[in-house]
Amino acid sequence: MGVIKKLPIYSEKLPGGGLVLTSLEAVINQAQAKSMWYLLFGTACCAIELMCTGASRYDFDRLGMIFRATPRQADLIIAAGTITKKMAPRLRRLYDQMAEPRRVIAMGGCTIKGGPFYYDSYSVEKGIDHIVPVDMYIPGCPPRPESLLEGCIHLQEKIKKQKLSDWQEK
Amino acid sequence: MADLRTEEFTVNMGPHHPSTHGVCRLVLTLNGEKIIKIEPVIGYLHRALEKICENRTYAQCIPIMDRFEYVTAMSCNYLFSNAAEKLAGIEVPERAEYLRVIMLELNRIASHLIFYGVTAMDIGALTPFLYGLRERELIIDLFEMTCGQRLTYNYIRVGGVSRDIPAEFEPKCREAIKIIREKLIDYEGLLNENPIWLVRNKGIGVLPPELGIAYGVSGPVLRASGVKYDIRKDDPYSIYDRFDFQIPTRENGDCYDRYLLRLDEIKQSLNIVEQALDALPEGDIKAKVSPNFKPPAGEVYSRVENSRGELGVYIQSDGGKKPLRVKMRGGSYNQLQVLPHIGTNCLVADLVAIFASLDVILPEVDR
Amino acid sequence: MTFDELKEYLAANFADDLTLLDTGRHEPVYEVKAEKLVTVCRRLREDETLKFDFFCNLGGVDTGERMEAVYSLASYSKKIRVDLKVILPHEKAEIDSVQEVWPAANWYERELWELYGVHVKNHGNLTRFLLPDDWDQGFPMRKDWDAPDFIRMPEL
Repeated sequence: MGVIKKLPIYSEKLPGGGLVLTSLEAVINQAQAKSMWYLLFGTACCAIELMCTGASRYDFDRLGMIFRATPRQADLIIAAGTITKKMAPRLRRLYDQMAEPRRVIAMGGCTIKGGPFYYDSYSVEKGIDHIVPVDMYIPGCPPRPESLLEGCIHLQEKIKKQKLSDWQEK
Repeated sequence: MADLRTEEFTVNMGPHHPSTHGVCRLVLTLNGEKIIKIEPVIGYLHRALEKICENRTYAQCIPIMDRFEYVTAMSCNYLFSNAAEKLAGIEVPERAEYLRVIMLELNRIASHLIFYGVTAMDIGALTPFLYGLRERELIIDLFEMTCGQRLTYNYIRVGGVSRDIPAEFEPKCREAIKIIREKLIDYEGLLNENPIWLVRNKGIGVLPPELGIAYGVSGPVLRASGVKYDIRKDDPYSIYDRFDFQIPTRENGDCYDRYLLRLDEIKQSLNIVEQALDALPEGDIKAKVSPNFKPPAGEVYSRVENSRGELGVYIQSDGGKKPLRVKMRGGSYNQLQVLPHIGTNCLVADLVAIFASLDVILPEVDR
Repeated sequence: MTFDELKEYLAANFADDLTLLDTGRHEPVYEVKAEKLVTVCRRLREDETLKFDFFCNLGGVDTGERMEAVYSLASYSKKIRVDLKVILPHEKAEIDSVQEVWPAANWYERELWELYGVHVKNHGNLTRFLLPDDWDQGFPMRKDWDAPDFIRMPEL
């Protein structure tokens, strides 16, 4: 019953069953937020922290996040690690292969603005936000698993606030 | 029946593939299930670390070296510091050397634990991944209490180490060693005689020693083929000559031997850490080095044994506060070069096992 | 074999081909003439006392006036190490491939060509490697290289 308590919901017990009234928006948002399957897209150092987050101690699964190897099944890319100029078209292609609704988390300094490779590097893409639209930035080099978890929780909050009318516009 | 017309076809494995440990791309030419040609395409993680180092002072280079080989970042820190110390003629205090060895060996164990987990996951067993990373966290906790970082430590500096270990380090470290020793029995129980594991690994991807030598392969991959070559013994650096440890070798050179060898190495590293903790002297942890020190003009090639083979750095100085040239060399570079030779004529599924057992990590290749 | 013994041995047997460079107190660095490179390398590898069969590293260096290629060699069995240096002109530098001596040199030479523009003769596969396939901005590791989106770190 935990879900029902959290949703803006009207429920009434009737003989032979019950009646539940809520907005479609709330149900869709809840479903989306609680089952964000992420694409395993680790390129550099952050990938190790992403692995640790998925492993025993930090247990990513409890947020409903399970890794997927193919973009077709994923709802979310966690871009973990440096994106170079050679890799950038591949990131875009993976993003294009994902089905809507899709989201992007930029994990670590490199994906935000180039990180430690901003200066003096001829091959690093300075921020992934001019390749794909980014929903959540998680700073750090690399971010701790706790900050990744918090970023994902914030993203879930964001999803829960979205309006169905926004989707129609898209 | 008329002859069936067959033709070769090309498959792209990577750069986004869960079992290529990063962003390696292998262009495979297949004849049915059989691989007849492998062409590695690298550079998807080429971050120009060498160019960056040319524009940093020696002290500023060390955080960049962390990103060169992040799974064993301590070795990279040590490597660069050691090279800069050789160039500038800096003496390192005794206690710092011991602390360095402790950290290097703990980092080697952490790296092999990742290998244990990730290799098994590539082949399809998820439990070892959870086991391996669980014990790795114990080591990461130790690093974190010492230098505050989980992955990119920047701990070993030119002239010593950045800070002393806290008081609770030693008991926690001894406890971690005890736990890992116990858990190693579990690890072996999970995989060593597991029939699926044996079928997937035994006799797969055999690397003959002559081929390994021709391609400059080093580290556990070469030792699994029977060549007893370890820089810790053959060209001792730091204070490794004071410790009593064995260099394990294996004979067959297949994926299974490479796996067993790494488990053996964990045991040896645990012994070294224990000996270093017992002998840890009191004293200074850092020699006095100016942050903008200028080593005299000259050049040095320094190398250490990390968990993937020979990790080397070549530094040329022109007498300024920034190096003229920093060239890094990682063991994975050569391991990946030899992959087309040992991977052909096997099945695609076996290639995953071979790639995993070579323990290639892409930042070391691409830099 | 210590470094001093190695120096003596090389002075006795390779006097015509190797010139000891004065780089202070470090490991010995020898200069080799570019045209003799492959023969010297083969002799170093096949010499029974030296047996330099481990190709550790090859790095290019741009000093501003000239190009250098530095070969780091070691021996798996003899526990010795040596560096060879080939000095090349800054423009139109050419060097022979040592792949027939150490197959491991293949990728290192490709990298030397791609990042420094040193042409490697008889290499056989000088194609784009670390940089993107459509790279057209020259040789980025050269000191005088620049590009519009290349940002240098400001001096503090």
